[in-house]
Amino acid sequence: MVASLERENSLVGFFRWLYAGVERTIFMGMKFTFPSRFVSPLGFLGMLTFIMFIILGITGALLMLWYEPILDRAWDSVENINDVIPYGFHMRNIHYHASNAMVMLALLHMYYQYFSGRYKIRNEILWVTGIILGVLTILEAFTGYDIIFSERAELAISIAASLTNSIPILGPQMRDAFFGAGFHDFVLRFYAFHVFFLPIAMLGLMLVHFPRFLVFDVPMVMAITGAVMLTGGVFPVEMGLKFDPNVPPGITVPEWYLTGLYAFLRTQYDKFVTGVAWPGLFIFTLLVIPFIDRYKRFSWKDRPIITAIGITSIAQIIVTTYWGFYIDPDRTKSLLERLVIDPIFFYLVMILLVPLSFGFTYMMIKLAKNAEANAKLQPKKPGGKSSVNISQKWIYIVFVALLAFQVYLNIAAYYAVLSGMKNYSLFIIGIIMLVFAAMFHIFRSGRAMAKAPPPKPISPPPRVTKPALTPPSTSPSIPASSKEEKPIVAPSAQKSAGNPSSPQNQPSQPQSSRGTSAPASSNSSSTISDPTLSDINLTNATNMTTSSPSSPSNENISSTNSTDVDRKKV
Amino acid sequence: MAAQQTPSRGAGRRISRRDFLKLMAAAGTVMTFTPFIDWGKFLPNPTGNISERAKVELPDGSQANVKTFQVNHSEAVVYPKTDDPALNQEAFRTWQFIRLPEELGGNKNDPSAFRMYSMVCLHLWCLWKYWPEPGRKRGECPCHGSMYDPLTGKAFAGPAALQSPPSNVLPMLDLEIDGNGDIWIKPPNWSVDGNGIVGFGRFIRA
Repeated sequence: MVASLERENSLVGFFRWLYAGVERTIFMGMKFTFPSRFVSPLGFLGMLTFIMFIILGITGALLMLWYEPILDRAWDSVENINDVIPYGFHMRNIHYHASNAMVMLALLHMYYQYFSGRYKIRNEILWVTGIILGVLTILEAFTGYDIIFSERAELAISIAASLTNSIPILGPQMRDAFFGAGFHDFVLRFYAFHVFFLPIAMLGLMLVHFPRFLVFDVPMVMAITGAVMLTGGVFPVEMGLKFDPNVPPGITVPEWYLTGLYAFLRTQYDKFVTGVAWPGLFIFTLLVIPFIDRYKRFSWKDRPIITAIGITSIAQIIVTTYWGFYIDPDRTKSLLERLVIDPIFFYLVMILLVPLSFGFTYMMIKLAKNAEANAKLQPKKPGGKSSVNISQKWIYIVFVALLAFQVYLNIAAYYAVLSGMKNYSLFIIGIIMLVFAAMFHIFRSGRAMAKAPPPKPISPPPRVTKPALTPPSTSPSIPASSKEEKPIVAPSAQKSAGNPSSPQNQPSQPQSSRGTSAPASSNSSSTISDPTLSDINLTNATNMTTSSPSSPSNENISSTNSTDVDRKKV
Repeated sequence: MAAQQTPSRGAGRRISRRDFLKLMAAAGTVMTFTPFIDWGKFLPNPTGNISERAKVELPDGSQANVKTFQVNHSEAVVYPKTDDPALNQEAFRTWQFIRLPEELGGNKNDPSAFRMYSMVCLHLWCLWKYWPEPGRKRGECPCHGSMYDPLTGKAFAGPAALQSPPSNVLPMLDLEIDGNGDIWIKPPNWSVDGNGIVGFGRFIRA
């Protein structure tokens, strides 16, 4: 059996031929990496966001077959999808939960890039397009839940329309142009935005946003897909009540990514200020942050002000998001009393969060630096968490057990559908996805084990590509720009050069490989661009500075490299 | 490029042929794409652009008349009315046609006795209506309790009253009465300074 798999059959040949053909396409500019071991998903959250986008595209396209963007039929068509169409429930739930996951992953992706300072080193375009993509993602999710035309959708549309109206001078014209007049136009236009305008704009931006090095981690992709389905099974999305202007609606709050904005609106302060100017200022700050951040280092520990700003924003997002959800449960009070947030109290808390967050950041940096210093005194822990430390035989046994489990789950899922338990079947299919993720993880571990000793991994490719990436003129430019960088480069270089074999350098690796991918590029690039630093830098992960001219390529791939390299060295 | 620029600078204020050509090309490009600015009119819905007066058509199909329409009474009127019954049901086309109570001058036989407000509540777009009962005589929204003054259309209680201008005053259509006493709606001006924007509001004219 093994032998038959070893043989190159015509199908494998066909795929090889296809793969070779990719040389002629724009895809050859990209480098896909399929990690051969567990890699922290923090490094490829962007890819996971994109996977969600793809899932949304597929399920959304299918939902288009049944959805009717017409004033008096929109809600009923969604109900039809949900209740009547076979697997419509599944599609709708995956679509809904994947939209939440996409917004969440995009946020996490942004904050990870923010704290690891990866928007530096000529990645500013990536960052700016990423922020715009994030805004479009939220608009996309927003228009999506509006076209159900439930009471909550109507609330959201009315807020969006009045916010647009409140924009000085051009507001009313903009509302007329984008929203049209009346509910009939609203539904149809939001639908057009949702299925075409926004996705096409996002795809265009993605072309610019995508880095050259991409990580496609099959188990992680399947795991989050499974998690989305599982969530859909446990918390199926509700239909809401059909909007009828003659029926008093219950209290509804918007989706979680907009409750922060909603909290501001609920202070009943001027609509333009609370609903347009504040979020606009927030987005603008994010857009320009790479140009404000003048620190020469990457780690959050070395950029205290920027880190503190980030922590403040997170604190404010969390507080406002919760506040937006919170509605006084006391039903004896008037609705207005329950809804309105006291602006003085609210803004006071917002302001108070600033010194608190700055203090918190100061404490965290102190603690982290302390831990770093302590770690230097202790010997390194051997081994990584990633490897599956079981024998080959047990790998087979676990694999077979998982396969049997898959068979059982398949039957269970089918019977769940037969007996009308849609959410249960969606839940089980989510588990199937997760089991696949586990199987794939075991598979690649087993394969890596079979190839003992592990071959020197992917690290050669970047070295090979580096000279091609780096124009020859850049290495002379180092001395020119070294005026500022010298204080940073020099000490670390001396440190590593001074005691190359001492344990002092090595303990600093874990943070770097966890916190940022920057060291990877320093590893590979500095060996080429700066001969004085030589290979010693490979072990010294903290000396990453902006001095390496070829470092813009430190993308996701590099982070995998760095972890691999680090483990090897350890 | 660089070699070309130096002589042009040396030539002082005079524009070089090359720069002149560039200017012409830029002007040509601008002229080519200028007509498309007006194409922006594709976006707004044109059904609101009405240049003629329209009947105040009551639910029974008749035109409202000063002589027959009761004091302190209201009806829901569709405006602008279309041939599509589904569109006629739309909240944004429903207006509350009110003849004011006597104490507010409702027994006069001129347009000042009548009001026509958008029924879309300025708070969250429910449909409010006029309550003629003694002690009420005001517009009330069933959803969150916003209340409207029938004389001006201004919200005086509830969440809509807390909204800053223009979002606390209902859009209002201008009316006129012909020789027969029939009531007509004058062509509207859909702006916050004119008749207002449905679902958003209006500035009260000083």
